Amino acid sequence: MASLATASRLSARLVRRTLPRDASLRGFRTSAAALAAQNFTMPALSPTMTEGNISAWRVKEGDKFAAGDVLLEIETDKATMDVEAQEDGILMKIMQGDGAKQVQVGSRIAVIAEEGDDISSLEIPPEENATKGRDEAAKPAETSSPNPETQPESPVPATAEKSTKAKSKAAKQTRPLLPSVSHLLKENGIDESAVADMTPTGPHNRLLKGDVLAYLGKVKPEVPAAISERFNHQSNLDLSNIKVKVSVAEPKDTKIPEKTEKSQEKPEPEDAVVALPVSLEAVIGVQQRVSQTLGTFLPLSTFIARATELANDELPLPAGYAPSADELFNQVLGLDKVHTSSRGRYMPQVSALPPASLLAPRPAPRQADIIDILAAPARKAAAAAPKSRSQLAPGTSSGVNVFSLTVPKPEEKRARVFLERVKLVLENDPGRLVL
Amino acid sequence: MLSSRLIGRTAVRSCFQKSTMPTLVGALPLRRTYATETDQKDLVVIGGGVAGYVAAIKAAQEGMKVTCIEKRGTLGGTCLNVGCIPSKSLLNNSHLYHQILHDTKQRGIEVGDVKLNLAQLMKAKDTSVNGLTKGVEFLFKKNGVEYIKGTGTFEDEHTVKVQLNDGGEASFVGKNILIATGSEATPFPGLEIDEKRVVSSTGAIALEKVPETLAVIGGGIIGLEMASVWSRLGSKVTVVEYLDAIGGPGMDTEIAKSIQKILKKQGLNFKTQTKVLSGDVSGDKVKLNIDAAKGGKEETIEADVVLVAIGRRPFTGGLGLEKVGVELDERGRVIIDQEYRTKIPHIRCVGDVTFGPMLAHKAEEEGVAVAEYITKGYGHVNYGCIPSVMYTFPEVAWVGQSEQDLKKNGIKYRVGTFPFSANSRAKTNLDTDGMVKMLADPETDRLLGVHIIGPNAGEMIAEGTLALEYGASSEDIARTCHAHPTLAEAFKEAAMATYSKPIHM
Repeated sequence: MASLATASRLSARLVRRTLPRDASLRGFRTSAAALAAQNFTMPALSPTMTEGNISAWRVKEGDKFAAGDVLLEIETDKATMDVEAQEDGILMKIMQGDGAKQVQVGSRIAVIAEEGDDISSLEIPPEENATKGRDEAAKPAETSSPNPETQPESPVPATAEKSTKAKSKAAKQTRPLLPSVSHLLKENGIDESAVADMTPTGPHNRLLKGDVLAYLGKVKPEVPAAISERFNHQSNLDLSNIKVKVSVAEPKDTKIPEKTEKSQEKPEPEDAVVALPVSLEAVIGVQQRVSQTLGTFLPLSTFIARATELANDELPLPAGYAPSADELFNQVLGLDKVHTSSRGRYMPQVSALPPASLLAPRPAPRQADIIDILAAPARKAAAAAPKSRSQLAPGTSSGVNVFSLTVPKPEEKRARVFLERVKLVLENDPGRLVL
Repeated sequence: MLSSRLIGRTAVRSCFQKSTMPTLVGALPLRRTYATETDQKDLVVIGGGVAGYVAAIKAAQEGMKVTCIEKRGTLGGTCLNVGCIPSKSLLNNSHLYHQILHDTKQRGIEVGDVKLNLAQLMKAKDTSVNGLTKGVEFLFKKNGVEYIKGTGTFEDEHTVKVQLNDGGEASFVGKNILIATGSEATPFPGLEIDEKRVVSSTGAIALEKVPETLAVIGGGIIGLEMASVWSRLGSKVTVVEYLDAIGGPGMDTEIAKSIQKILKKQGLNFKTQTKVLSGDVSGDKVKLNIDAAKGGKEETIEADVVLVAIGRRPFTGGLGLEKVGVELDERGRVIIDQEYRTKIPHIRCVGDVTFGPMLAHKAEEEGVAVAEYITKGYGHVNYGCIPSVMYTFPEVAWVGQSEQDLKKNGIKYRVGTFPFSANSRAKTNLDTDGMVKMLADPETDRLLGVHIIGPNAGEMIAEGTLALEYGASSEDIARTCHAHPTLAEAFKEAAMATYSKPIHM
């Protein structure tokens, strides 16, 4: 964050709003000089900024500045930023000097005039946005008396009235006037230049119908601003009254997976043992042929591992198989064909002697890990005595072996299909496994 | 990282090509590969839905190095894949079917045998979806966003570990990280969603046959849209809503009443102020025990398919937020500030997973805004000016405040309405259901809200949104020329009705 702060010596271009911009307009007015001085308020340099400290003024009282000149440095909790002038002008008076702390955004920090104005003859305008309780002393003595009688034809009193309450000074409407606004002006015989004396409350200082009505005295002057305030409020994401999830709520979170785990575990105690006798004669035959013709010796476990690989492909889904949310999602998208089968991860237990009862519970084999499958052949091969001609894995016989699997009940059929495939491959066409 | 994995794979492949067992190719489980990504990204986006992909593209356009992680097979998230887009395809085509079946005869078009080919209807939907999701992938390529298919988890404040969908894992280090993991359908307690008989919106757009009876729990936008689709295709639909009005929060009460009447005429059966007590899926049909909330008697309704559409909730599962200390609120939303920062400033969050309405266009706006906050220090979304649309027929659309909102907050307002039955284009189309309703400040005439029921309301609301964004008064709309004969003239007339009087009524 610190790097961001130093990096963001942004030039704020918020001065524009408060600077008098329409020199030509002022030319029409005889009393223009009285209007030339403008309050310069504390700019908001970020949307969240509410107050800031003034590090230093770069322009002295009475000095001229040009557009782009740095007027002052403002320090916030995040960064120090330069405030640039948007247009040429003269710094008439500094209200909040160097080192002023916690100056509220929108409160007056200086008075500026337009270039060429005679500062000595200019009045200092009253603070527009009197911040409560602050710089009361700095308030100029001559606050213009509120003018209740609005006379649309004469812009001067209207302006005076405005300056007592207006939040943002009239900005020249550079965009086409809204249809309702220009209609109201014509209807009431107001010259378009008077627009400069109205207070725009619309988004980005747009002059709205309500602002003209307020100028005309048809609605209470504070109404348009109040509505704008409401809109501003609504334009933000409502992040009030956030209640942080406390640790009490967390067990709920952890409970949910627990529950699902339990529900998954429930059927598991009902394991089924599936066993099938498989003759390894054909395999041994191939093993010998390969050994004789190619001179390479292939351990039996290689055959079994490869048969397992083949047999695990596209097994029927276990009974009551429920697809996960992601699988459903992909199915809906047609990314996966609807599964009627899936790849198994079975690893058969091989033993030479048929167990006393095929269905007798056996120590549950652990779910075959992919690494184990990979590592198994090598280990078994190493363990087997090289003397043995047919290189049997321990516990296997050259004749009939029993291949068995212990699986959860719903997977019984799936496991049987797997074993039958293993049998088929090993008994009928083991040559395919190594060719 | 990816290249090393590829080399690993081709090696496996080539050694197997020597053998003549095609089924074994690639079957050798050499899937556990590890890869590391050491170079730092400017932005790592978790989630390739609307919020995530828009933020990723915007940030890349601003010159950042961006990685986007998506666990599903396609980009676009709920909206593109199982939400807005496919449902609109179904709504549009089911409307055509329904119209040919029941409406074209009176217009002088006699069609012989009309048959529904549901599989083809679904295929048309999939074509639209695929085209759009591929489009997003193309945009990623075009803007240089790195697209990672996998599930992301926070390793630490700057590192996201990804379980790649193709196996293996990778880590991504980001200066900034954006959480955009979206939302999921809220389940109904006691009814497990299997997407076949008890479905969420995801399953409701992919039913394999038209159910004879469909019960919809929740009369919000999603519920009513899906109810419309299946009702048009021939289902007998009952919508059960706990509140006294349909349409969900935000819809103007008068509009909600009005659309309920129209939909009822179309054959939808409504049970408002009714609570679903429990469900039972053991029989041939799914049974729902319902109870009128206001002391009614308990009854049971049966349906072939039950759609659970009671809302959506933020999805943060498996993200490992607790590891980095990102906080959630009571409803599971990621807590952020106005600049979308979580408690950890460089981890930000946008879209459904955090505050605000769960709408794709809101997420999209936030995606742009958050990218701008990161790159430029300022972004903007006007939350007071986000339109909502329900794509039933006629459509319902609104923006700004509703009448009940204004009443509740004690804000004075003026109402102007104009019915489509007085609009020339609606008359020629023989689609005259609905109206335009405007709410404006009684003193300044500034527009406060626009609510429309009518054909094409979803397009027409754009004008209301623009007007609201610019602070227009109803007079401004009324003084703007609208082409004749168009439905939009009703919009203009409603504006006239608001600030003075309509001409054509």
